[in-house]
Amino acid sequence: MIKHNVYISPDKVLVDGKALTHNEKGSALLTELYRNNVSDYPKFFKMDTLSKLGFVASELLLNAEGNRDFEPREDRAVIFFNKHASLQADTHYQSTIQDPEHFFPSPAAFVYTLPNIVTGEIAIRNKYFGETSFIVVEDYDEKIIERNLKNSFQDPMTKSIIGGWLDCLDEEHFEAKIFLLYKD
Amino acid sequence: MDELIYKLKQEIIEALNLEDMKPEDIDENASLFGEGLGLDSIDALELIVLMEKNYGIKLKDPAQGKEIFKSVTVMADFIQKNRTK
Amino acid sequence: MTKPILITGTGVVSAIGLDKNETLDALLNNRSGVGPLVYLKTDHKEFPVGEVKLSDAEMRKRLNINDNAITTRTALMGMIALDEALKDAKLTSDMLPKIGFISGTTVGGMDMSEQYYLDYIGESTHKEYIAVHDCGSCSEMTANHFGKFAFITTLSTACSSAANAIILGANMIRCGEADIVVVGGSECITKFHLNGFNALMILDTKPCRPFDATRAGLNLGEGAAYLVLETEESAKRRGVKAQAILSGYGNACDAFHQTASSPDGEGAYRAMKEALQLADIQPDKVDYINAHGTGTPNNDVSESQAMIRLFGKNVPPMSSTKPFTGHTTSASGSIEAVFCILALQHGFLPVNLNFSQPMEDGIVPVHQSVKKELKHILCNAFGFGGNDSSLLLSKPEL
Repeated sequence: MIKHNVYISPDKVLVDGKALTHNEKGSALLTELYRNNVSDYPKFFKMDTLSKLGFVASELLLNAEGNRDFEPREDRAVIFFNKHASLQADTHYQSTIQDPEHFFPSPAAFVYTLPNIVTGEIAIRNKYFGETSFIVVEDYDEKIIERNLKNSFQDPMTKSIIGGWLDCLDEEHFEAKIFLLYKD
Repeated sequence: MDELIYKLKQEIIEALNLEDMKPEDIDENASLFGEGLGLDSIDALELIVLMEKNYGIKLKDPAQGKEIFKSVTVMADFIQKNRTK
Repeated sequence: MTKPILITGTGVVSAIGLDKNETLDALLNNRSGVGPLVYLKTDHKEFPVGEVKLSDAEMRKRLNINDNAITTRTALMGMIALDEALKDAKLTSDMLPKIGFISGTTVGGMDMSEQYYLDYIGESTHKEYIAVHDCGSCSEMTANHFGKFAFITTLSTACSSAANAIILGANMIRCGEADIVVVGGSECITKFHLNGFNALMILDTKPCRPFDATRAGLNLGEGAAYLVLETEESAKRRGVKAQAILSGYGNACDAFHQTASSPDGEGAYRAMKEALQLADIQPDKVDYINAHGTGTPNNDVSESQAMIRLFGKNVPPMSSTKPFTGHTTSASGSIEAVFCILALQHGFLPVNLNFSQPMEDGIVPVHQSVKKELKHILCNAFGFGGNDSSLLLSKPEL
């Protein structure tokens, strides 16, 4: 059963279907959302765009749920799907090794060259010790998402899931369509 | 030296994406890791890259960083003595 | 766990062999495949690696693939391993439309992008390789070489990808969504992650020494392995036998850091505990642990703590097989699962090569060849993102 949902695109933010007003677009929108809704987690600024997107989307989702206590728990999984894996972070890291005369591979850029770092970031923020997965698929497909999340509830430990679509091509092109799902 | 300390603070803020920080906010004698700025092991590696990129200093062993990154003052002092550019 | 999940076929390729026979021989005779770089074109010759001992052209020849075909090394290694697994389980191409394929990889077709990236942006040639850059295309290329699978899915959770592919396949079987799923992973060495791991300063310039006091990092490796997971009814109907049972599995998040493991091994502890709980097996029944054991100072301390927390003073014999193969990253979960199945079948403990000096508060790994009847084995695979998985592989009841 879906309890709450959040949608973020470069120029639109919906929480449980209601539009959130904002001034910025693209990745600046993510920073605006962070400043207005979180503001006490400076690690946000170190993240790649996919993680920033997943982070603010999950914050909006969890604020909608309310009663945030940040107590360690393992009954909540974080499972996302997308098409472009970590392409924005990959390109950024590539830019640090592009020029042989100026070759300084950035460790901070490299650590984000995996799509599942964002699931880890959300787990670190909320002290979730349960399942974290990132599944890369050809295109958005509700059936695939539904089936995989249903499978994850096979794990008796998992009672709820932050899940859904989390895709980022670059700082101007991204989409989060995530929800908080409870075992029926 | 004061000039180098100020410049180094600016470089650290940029390299580590300490978005909400200004050079004045960093105490040059306080520890960079642990409580101080809340930096982690990846930040330490980024500082190693920063020293190579901006000052031509190559560190081979990440453990060396522990001593050098005690504070901005210690770091500036090390750079002063070892810089090749 | 309610229904047993049978493993009715396996195939593996890594630095120590192109099939199971070569692999078993190397494991029994403590022959490492780690050595100087041969196939990857990079300036970083100082790092020993565990490369599969074939060029791309030699792999294509072995697979009867035409030399002009578009391929990636990850897909080619995947095909070699998948070929063995399918034959091993007596699966033919006409049966594939009822069988799923789940593969883990993280670098995908990065090797070709590295080779042709400057051509893409310069002379605009070799653009056909852009389409095979992504992880999913490697899985599809691998699978489609053999026929039309019912579905193909790619998992990407860094170094636990293949282990999680196994878990996803097992969950599908438990849900009743499939009778047979082929699961595993493939990953070739690329400049991308060699440079990245070097930037993180976790590569050793000497052969890696997991759980040793002098360990100084990992060696990269490459390879692929696939396992055929099957329900008992299906195996009975087809007249194939179980090589092993996947009796439990667990995935947990370390929730500590993007790349570093927590000092107390929280995620590893939870993953292993969950695997045992799912199988309803007490810790003292575990006969061997194939550790993730990368040889970095951080991983081995964290994993040791997790084992001590779970097993107390009686940690079962344990070793890391990464000195044999290097760290095969996304493929390590399935490659090492096949090593564990070989150990179950042939009754031996794989040796933790290059070990000489115990680490402080550490566990002494198996460092001499031991022949021993084994019943239950835990196999660990941990990934960046704190994504930790553990599989419990058991000998079938006769």
